[in-house]
Amino acid sequence: MPPQKRVFYRRRVCRFCTDKELVMDYKDAKTLRNFVTERGKIIPKRIWGTCATHQRQVTEAIKRARHLALLPYTGPTQF
Amino acid sequence: MRHYETTFILRPNLGEDQFTEIIERTSAIITDDGGTIINTDRWGIKRLAYEIKKEVQGYYVNLNYAAPGKTISEIERIFRIDDRLLRYLTIKLADSMDQDAITKEQDGFAARAAAVEADEAETTEETATETSTKTVPAEKAVTTEKTATTEKTGEQEEKTEATEKTTATE
Repeated sequence: MPPQKRVFYRRRVCRFCTDKELVMDYKDAKTLRNFVTERGKIIPKRIWGTCATHQRQVTEAIKRARHLALLPYTGPTQF
Repeated sequence: MRHYETTFILRPNLGEDQFTEIIERTSAIITDDGGTIINTDRWGIKRLAYEIKKEVQGYYVNLNYAAPGKTISEIERIFRIDDRLLRYLTIKLADSMDQDAITKEQDGFAARAAAVEADEAETTEETATETSTKTVPAEKAVTTEKTATTEKTGEQEEKTEATEKTTATE
């Protein structure tokens, strides 16, 4: 195989592993809104640079918040 | 006993009495089965992100408690029957909790509530004069004491803690 070009090696370390010791809480709609696009879709981890564990936690928190109508399933997050 | 957290949404136009009645009924189910309520948090009326049963706003309540496993099915059965409840969500936080952990959690919540009250008292101090601020923290500390005694079952401990905190803030 030809050697792969170095793509995205300058990606930063997961922001949860470094900065925050706070666990992602489904009740905290304001911070969860950062991980969701304008249309309400969850941002994939290759864009954000989160590691897999924390991306799973964030996804679970977002889905719980959606069930409790703190975040919409689709549509603009209007708060 | 396991550590659970339940958040549920009520219809907004019911009135304060019905909110309290539903919360009291749920707390009674938990304590009847031998559980302890750690914290009751009312978020109030918030705008829902989407319509639920034709309602645009909802009254959110958050309950933090320790209870045996079969209590949950009973609570959810009651929630499902009741029309006034729009949504509920129960989460298990920890598998087993002994009495020490319960009292530690209660203390944590009381400390956080007192810290929030102290912050609010400080911000009012910046805007108001000195004489009025001496009364404001005392009033707020008294309200935290009252809510602490009504919400939690460990009344004796909470009363002594709240009086300690009032003396500290004064």
